[in-house]
Parts: sequence; C-alpha cells; structure tokens
Amino acid sequence: MVLQESISTAVDSIRANLLRSLLTTIAIVIGTASVIAMVGIGSSAQRAIDDSISNLSARTLSVYPSRGRGSQKISAAPLSISDADALLKDKEINWRVSPEIRGSKSLKYKNESISISVIGARESYLSIQGYEIDQGTFFTQRDDLARKRVAIIGSSVGTELKTSSKALVGQDIDLGGVTFKIIGVTKSEGSSGWSNPDEQIYIPLLTASDRVFGRDRVDSIRVEVPNTYTPEEAMISIERVLRREHDIGPGEENNFRINDWSQFTDLQKQATAIFSALLIGIAGISLMVGGIGVMNIMLVSVTERTREIGLRKALGATQQAILLQFIIEAVTLCIIGGIIGVIFGSSLYFLVTVFQDWVFTIPFSAILGSVMFSACVGLFFGIWPARKAAQLEPAVALRYE
Amino acid sequence: MNIIDVKNITKHYSLGTQTVEALRGISFGIEQGEFIAIMGPSGSGKSTLMNIIGCLDSPTDGTYHLNNQEVSTLEGDELAGIRNKEIGFVFQNFHLLARNSALDNVMLPLKYAGVDKVDQIKRGKDALSQVGLESRMDHQPSELSGGQQQRVAIARALVNNPSILFADEPTGNLDSQTGHDVMQLFHNLHQQGQTIILITHENEVAAEAQRTIFIKDGLIESDTRKEKL
Ligand SMILES: Nc1ncnc2c1ncn2[C@@H]1O[C@H](COP(=O)(O)OP(=O)(O)O)[C@@H](O)[C@H]1O
Ligand SMILES: [Mg+2]
Repeated sequence: MVLQESISTAVDSIRANLLRSLLTTIAIVIGTASVIAMVGIGSSAQRAIDDSISNLSARTLSVYPSRGRGSQKISAAPLSISDADALLKDKEINWRVSPEIRGSKSLKYKNESISISVIGARESYLSIQGYEIDQGTFFTQRDDLARKRVAIIGSSVGTELKTSSKALVGQDIDLGGVTFKIIGVTKSEGSSGWSNPDEQIYIPLLTASDRVFGRDRVDSIRVEVPNTYTPEEAMISIERVLRREHDIGPGEENNFRINDWSQFTDLQKQATAIFSALLIGIAGISLMVGGIGVMNIMLVSVTERTREIGLRKALGATQQAILLQFIIEAVTLCIIGGIIGVIFGSSLYFLVTVFQDWVFTIPFSAILGSVMFSACVGLFFGIWPARKAAQLEPAVALRYE
Repeated sequence: MNIIDVKNITKHYSLGTQTVEALRGISFGIEQGEFIAIMGPSGSGKSTLMNIIGCLDSPTDGTYHLNNQEVSTLEGDELAGIRNKEIGFVFQNFHLLARNSALDNVMLPLKYAGVDKVDQIKRGKDALSQVGLESRMDHQPSELSGGQQQRVAIARALVNNPSILFADEPTGNLDSQTGHDVMQLFHNLHQQGQTIILITHENEVAAEAQRTIFIKDGLIESDTRKEKL
C-alpha cells in the first residue's frame, strides 16, 4: 500500500516537473543508448566477421616482390612464373597457386577505345577468386599453354564500349595492338574497394607474358591453403620454397613478402573492440554524470518539498515511507531515462545495420540489463537525498519557508 | 481520567551559544471530550507546546502521558505511529497536497496506516461528508475556496478517528465569515464528543472553547473553565 502510494507520488512529481525531469535524464539516456548501440553493433560486427571467416573454405595468402628502396631492387628480386611453378611442384601442402600479371592496356572495339586493367592468370584464377561465368567459358590450361589470344571480360566492360558485354562474346577486339577473341563474360561482382572486377579483362598467363606484356615477371602469386593449415605453417612453407628458388642464403632477408588476408579480419576485430571500449567509456561517464544529475535534482526536490515532507510525517509517514518515496522517484526517473535510451540506442544500431547490411539483433537481456542498470544508478544516487528527506524533523520541516 | 497528562514540560532550543527556553515548565491535564483553547501572544510558545503534545517533537524535559502511555521518551517512527492513530492536525495554511484531489488528500493518513484501498475510499468519503464536501471530492485544492480547503484539511484530520484534534490558528488565513463556519464545524465535532485543542490568539475564537489555557513566556499564566450553562 505504501509502495503503491510512493510510486504514484513519484510519477506525479516527475510529471509536475516534466521538462526538468527529462533534462535531468539526458545523461542517463546517452549512457543507456551507448550501451545498447554498443551491444548491438558489437554482436552484429562479430557475427559478420565470423560469417566471413567461416564462409572461406580456405585461406588465401598473397606473395609480392619486396618493395625495395631503389628501382634496381625490384628488378633484382622479381617474382616470376617459375617461382609460381616451383610452389606448385612442392607437395608439402596441397595448395593452389595463382600467379598474376597485371597491367593497363588500351582496348579497342570498332570505333571505341578505352583503357582497361588486364589480368593475366592461370585457369584456376576464376575459382580461387570465387568469380563465376555468366556467358561463354573461361580459358583452359590448354589455352594458356598454347598462348591463345582469348579473353574474358567483366560484366560492365561492354557498356564502356557502347555495347553490352554479352554481345561481345565471340567478337574480336584489339588489346594493346594484339587481336583477342572474347570467349566469356563474368557475373557482376561489384567493386571490392581498390579494384572493380567488372571492369577488367582476363587473359591466359602465358599469353599475357609472351604476347601482351613481354615479361616473365608476375605482380603477385596467390596461394590458397586449406583451412587445416595455420597461416603460419603456410607462410613457412612458402618461404622455404621461394628462398630456395631465389638462392637466399641463411641469415639473409626475404626479397618477397607474404600477406595473410585473415590479418584483415583481425584488424576489423580490433577496430570493433576499440569502438566498443569507446562506447563503454561514454556509457560509464554518462551514467555517472547522469547519476550525479539525478542526485542533484533530487536534493532540489527534497528542499522544495520540505513542508510536504513535514506534513506527510505529521500524518504518520514513517522514515521508511519517505525514504521509499524519494528513492522510487529517483529510480523512476532513471528508468524513464533508461527506456528512452534503449529506444535511441536501438534506433542508432538499426541505422548502422542498414548501412552495413548487418543482421539486427538486440538480446532482450541487454535491454533489461541496461534499464536495470539505470535503475541501480537511480538507487545509488537517490539514497543520499532520500535519507535527507527521511531524517527531516517534522516540526522543523513544517515551519520551513 | 485524563487523556493527556503533561508534567513540567520544558523545551530548549539551542541557537549556537544561545539557548531559547520556549517552554519553561508546563503542567496540565486534558479530559476526554474537552474543547480547549490555548492562547498567548506571539512567541509565547503555543506552537512549541502543540508540537510536543501533538507528538511532532519531544520535550527537553518533563513527562507526557497520552492515553496513559509515556510518549516523551519515544522518537522517530514510534511517534509517527502515534501521530497517525491518535492525532489529527489542522494547520493555519491548510497544508494540502496541491496535485491531489480532495479525496486523495483526505485518504493520506489511511495510506500510511496501511488501510486497504476500498476502506480508504469509503472512510475518506465519510470524512468529507462530515465536513459537507462530499460533492467536491474530485476537486484539487486550487479549485476550492480557502474555507473549503480548510474543511478538507479537517476531514483529513478526522479520517483516522483520532483521540485528539489539534488546530493551530485554523482561522488565521480565513475571512471572518468562513472562519466562523469553520468554528461552527469544530463546535459540532465537539458536540459529537471529539476532544479538540485549538491554538489561537483571537479572543473571539477562543470564546468557542470550554476552557482556555493562557501561555506567556513559556509558562501557563491562567487556566480557566467556562461555567456550564
Ligand atoms: N525550531 C526552533 N528553533 C529555535 N527557536 C525556536 C524554534 N521553534 C520555536 N522557537 C522559539 O521558541 C519560542 C516560541 O515559539 P512558538 O512556539 O512558535 O511561539 P508561538 O506559536 O506562541 O508564536 C519563540 O521564541 C521561537 O523563536
Ligand atoms: Mg505559532
């Protein structure tokens, strides 16, 4: 009965000073919103990263020539097709090896001419990249060995040539002065950040080496390792083969470098962790500030209502009843702030999921937990003002002007 | 048998190095059903006395028996319980809760007494009809006249059937006509057997009572009873 009276009194008094009450809760709102956004974004990001890792049946490493300090150093230690072949011959790990020669050439078709990024690769390139053929075929190992002048184009190359990619299948084009026959079109992949596979042209590695670029040097070698090996094991094997190929003596440094793409997801995880820590910090500080704000407003409220407290005591309110009334008021204030914060935090999180194309999932426990935590903030910071109210002497309080 | 028995009550307030002797040894007894006026000039100690016999405050020294129970040694929540059950207060400035209806204001002592909701409402309405304001039970204090507000306060004081009704300058904030109406109400309550202690500095108001205790400088100067007619 006393509890019910306390709750309705608390709600009444918050309503009577609605603006003041809401302003007081702003920091609580920010705090709770941060917690909810953090939990949501954190779990979605984690899920996205986990998904992207588990989607990979294998792990891809890339080998590049060392970036030397001068131009000679690059030419002194190039990666070559024979390096790729040596990796392929090594049977310690059943990896797949994809050397790539890349460069820019002009592509002419009828009266149109564009500059295009050319990729010379092995027939395994398509499946290692996870690309698919939309129309026609990809070149074969035989095409490669025969240095055939066949090419596969990305899905938007045709548009740049004022026709469609599909219409170009079977047509001859001129690539850097060499005539090629288009034999296939890849499905649209979308830009991957620094390159757009839809705007590239793919030709056999040996054709690229002998007929287009006139060099043996490759720009990178991709090595796809089964998931049963750790990246470290794979790196050690690659190093062993290439050091032998390059005649690197003991104690000498590698003249190539190996990138592990899983480092990327590690970085992503790290970024998420930093982001979470930041939000935890904001949440902690906001809830602290919010608690102090609530304490302040409760002290004001106790002072303003000294005579009311005196009256309630004159009518028989015990210290406990007064204590309860003011604690409930502080807790109610914080719970309201907490609920508004949950709404704001979920909205923020929802926007992020829309932009990041993530799954929106807020665990109910996070909502309950953050509202409960705001309630605890109210309890903690409300106790002192409430005790002040409870301990007022009724005779003195009634005389208060 | 006396309902109230005070012996040698003193009350000192210390203000820094100075002590104010608000009451300097007061003794008297009050019987069930009496209507008493406590009079005296401003600052003589009337309110201090009411606070002590109303259990809002404890005396510095002396004994106080209320219904044969020694209460001068009680404190805090024990006094709160006695105030709730035995005493009804009416104040000069009404002291109603502004955001609550008349009925809610009247029910407040019952809430602290732990009476269940249905009884609260029933007894609250009864008390309001006793002061002739049942039709205004949903009104907030701001929607009532001063006289009506004081009658709501009287209903609140009566709702828990107190042994004693205390009124500290109940007509002090009212014009003479409504003041007269309120005094009529006290008169009727007294007729029904209610013990009433009224604090006033107006002779006219004090004239309604059967007995007048006159206080000056913290001491009883006179204690006179009217002849029964
Ligand atoms: N809480 C208090 N602290 C200090 N002095 C007080 C307090 N209450 C009353 N007094 C003093 O005690 C004396 C009696 O006050 P009070 O009982 O209010 O007189 P009355 O009601 O007759 O006007 C006055 O001198 C007053 O200043
Ligand atoms: Mg007074």
